[in-house]
Amino acid sequence: MKKYILTAAAGCLASLSACGGSRSGFTPPDGTLDKCTLRFSWWGGDDRHEATLSAIELWNEKHPDITIVPEYGGWDGWTEKVGTQLSGGTEPDIMQINYDWLISFSSDGKGFYDLELLTDYLDLTQFDSEVLSFGEVGGVLNGVTVSVSGRGLFYNSETYKHFGAEYPKTWSELIDLGEKFHKEDIYPLDVDIQSGGTAWYLAVVYVQQQTGKQFITIDGELGFTEEDIKAALDFYKKLEDGHVIRTIDMRTDEDGTAALYQSPEFIDGRVAGVLEWGSSVGKYEMTLSEGVLEAGPMLSDDSGKSGGWMIKPSLLYAISRNTKNPDEAAAFMDFMLNDTEAASLLGTTRGIPASRTAEESLEKSGRLTGLAQENDALLEQLDTMTISPYMELAQMKEYYNTAIEKVSYNSADTAEAAHEMYVSITEYLERIRK
Amino acid sequence: MKKKYRNPVGVSKYTGLLLITPFLAGFLLFTLYPFVSSFLLGLTEYDGIRQPEFTGFGNFRKMLGDSSFLNAAAVTLKYTAVLVPLKLIFSLLAALTLNMEIKGIGVYRTIFYIPSILGSNLAVVIMWQFLFTSDGLVNQLLELCGLAPVGWYGDSAHAMGIIVLLRLWEFGSTMIIFLNALRDIPCEYYEAAKVDGCGKIRSFFSITLPLLKNVIFLNLILQVIAAMQEFNAPYMITGGGPLKGTYTLGMLIYDEMFKYREMGYANALSWVMFTLIAAVVAAAFGFTKRHREDI
Repeated sequence: MKKYILTAAAGCLASLSACGGSRSGFTPPDGTLDKCTLRFSWWGGDDRHEATLSAIELWNEKHPDITIVPEYGGWDGWTEKVGTQLSGGTEPDIMQINYDWLISFSSDGKGFYDLELLTDYLDLTQFDSEVLSFGEVGGVLNGVTVSVSGRGLFYNSETYKHFGAEYPKTWSELIDLGEKFHKEDIYPLDVDIQSGGTAWYLAVVYVQQQTGKQFITIDGELGFTEEDIKAALDFYKKLEDGHVIRTIDMRTDEDGTAALYQSPEFIDGRVAGVLEWGSSVGKYEMTLSEGVLEAGPMLSDDSGKSGGWMIKPSLLYAISRNTKNPDEAAAFMDFMLNDTEAASLLGTTRGIPASRTAEESLEKSGRLTGLAQENDALLEQLDTMTISPYMELAQMKEYYNTAIEKVSYNSADTAEAAHEMYVSITEYLERIRK
Repeated sequence: MKKKYRNPVGVSKYTGLLLITPFLAGFLLFTLYPFVSSFLLGLTEYDGIRQPEFTGFGNFRKMLGDSSFLNAAAVTLKYTAVLVPLKLIFSLLAALTLNMEIKGIGVYRTIFYIPSILGSNLAVVIMWQFLFTSDGLVNQLLELCGLAPVGWYGDSAHAMGIIVLLRLWEFGSTMIIFLNALRDIPCEYYEAAKVDGCGKIRSFFSITLPLLKNVIFLNLILQVIAAMQEFNAPYMITGGGPLKGTYTLGMLIYDEMFKYREMGYANALSWVMFTLIAAVVAAAFGFTKRHREDI
C-alpha cells in the first residue's frame, strides 16, 4: 500500500514539475497569413463591447480566412479569469491586458510574445518610443499601448446647476462643496474601495501634489514615508467628515457591492461626481442622459500647484506566447491599433488612441471629441507622473483598501492604519522585486 | 437443448478490474490526482507562471502569523455555529408542518422546496442584495411596522445575518430528509401514546426526536461541511466586508489563488480547511456517540 501511495505522489510530482512550463511551445512567425481562427479577449463596459464587436465584424468581412472569436466581459474577476488561462496555457491569441499584468504574468518578459518579432504585420512606427517603452519588460516588447490615460473628475452638470455651483478647481473648493450639497443630502463626488480603488488614488494625488514625491516608483520602490501615508489617510477622512464623499458604511448600505455607475444614487444625480479613467468614463456617461456628465478641472492647491496627477497606459494589447498563428495575430492587432476604418468604429472607447494613424483618422472625422478627449487635454496641461505598474497590483490594492476601510469605520486611527500599510507594502514590494 | 449463457467479456480474474476501470480512471484523474497535487503544491511557492519552488512547510508556518487566515477561520467557525443549529431547527419545524395529512400538501411541499432548487445563483443573490439595501424591501417593511431601518451592509453582524438568512431560506434539502424520516415513524407509536394520555409536545420529545436522532446527525454533518466551505453568498453579496466580517476561508483561498496568485499558499490553505472540517466532523461524531445508533 505504501508503495502505491509513493508511486501516486511521485506521479503527481512529475506532472507538477511541468507546471509553469506546461506551454504548448513557441511558434515563430512564418511571414504569411494563413487560414485560421483566433481568439481575442477584452474587458470593458457596453460601449466598448459594441464598438469592438463592430470592428471585429469589419475584420471578418475584410479577412474571411482569419476568423476572430470574441471573449469579453466586465472588469470584475477578469484578471482572475485570464490569469487562470495563462497558468493553463489556454489564453486567447490576442489579449487586451492591464498595465500591472506585465509584472504579474511576465516579470522576465517571457510571459507574452515578443512583438518585435512580428513587425512584418505589426506597424510599430506609429507609436512614440516612450509610449512603446510602457509595454517593455526586461527589454522585451510584450505589449503595445492602446492609449495613455489618467483619471480625471467628471461631474453631473444638472446637479451642479441645481446648486448653482461651479466645478471645483482646488481641493478647498471641493471641500466647501461638501457643506453646500449636504443641505439636500447630495454628495459632490464619490470614490470607492472596490475594484476601482479610487479612494486611495485621490488621496495619493493630493499628497504627491503637496510633497512632489511619487508614491511608488516605476521600479517598485515605496516613495512615500509613513507620515506621507498618514497624510493621505487624513485627507481621505477629511473628505468623509466634510460630506464630500459618502462613508464606506453608507456606500455599501445604499449600493451593496454594485458598481457606482449602476447604482441608483449615481443615476439619480444624488452622487454628482466621479473619479474615472478617461478611457473608461463611457460606461458612466451611458447611464445618464446625453451631455449630463462633464469633465471638470484637475484639482490643484490654493497656490495653484497642480502636479501629482498621474497617467499610465490605460490598456495594452498583447499576443499569447503560445499562439500557433503569430503573424495572423499581429495582423489583427495592427488592424485594431492602426486601421483607420477600425479606429472610426472604435472611437474613444479605449481612450484617445496612441497610434498616430488612428488618432489622425478620428481627428479628421471630427470624432476626437467627448469626455476622454477633454480629460486628455486637461492632463496634458499638467506636469503628470507615470503610474508604477506595481501600484496597481491586486495585493497592493488590498493594502490600500484595508487601511481606508479601517479609517472610515474608525476601527483604527490614521497613524495606526498608516503604520500597518507602510509595513505591509514595504515587505510585499521587497518580496516581489526579487 | 438448453441455451448456454456466455459471458461476452469472459470470466477471468481481470473481468472485475475491467468493469471498474471507468470509475477507477475517473477517481484517479479527478479525485486522487488533484488531492495529492494540491498537497504537494501546498509545499511550494508558485505563481502559476514560473516553476513551483519547494519551500517545505513554510506556507503552513506562514498561516500562524497571518491575520487574514486567523480572521477567516474565526469568521467561518462563527458562521457555521450560527447557521447550522438554526437551519436544523427551522427545517425540522417545516418538515413537521408539512407532514400533516391535509389536502394539497404536495403543492406546499413543492413550494417550500423551490428556494433550494434556485440555490445561490446570480439572480437570487442580486435579488437578495437589493432586498437589504438601505431603501430595500426589508427596510421598507421594518418602517411600515414602525421599526427603525437597519444598516445591513455596514455592520459585520448584520451583514453575516443577511447570508445566514439566505442559507436558511434554502432549507428545502434538509427539510426533505427530515420529512422522509418523519414519514417512516409508524403511526401506532403516536396512537399508543395518545391512548396513554400523552400530549403532542410530549409525543414529540419522547417519540419523534429519539427516532430522528440518526437523521438529525446526518443533517448536522452535511450542513457543517457545506457551511465551512461557504463562498458564493458572501463573495457576491457582501464581498467579505465590512472589515472582513464575512470573509470566509473559501473567499481567502479564492483570493490567494486567483487574485494574488499565491497558488502554493492557497493550496496549503485548502488542506488546512480540509483538516478543520474533518476535525469538526470528528468532534461531532465523538460528542454524539453515546446518543446515536450506528447509521
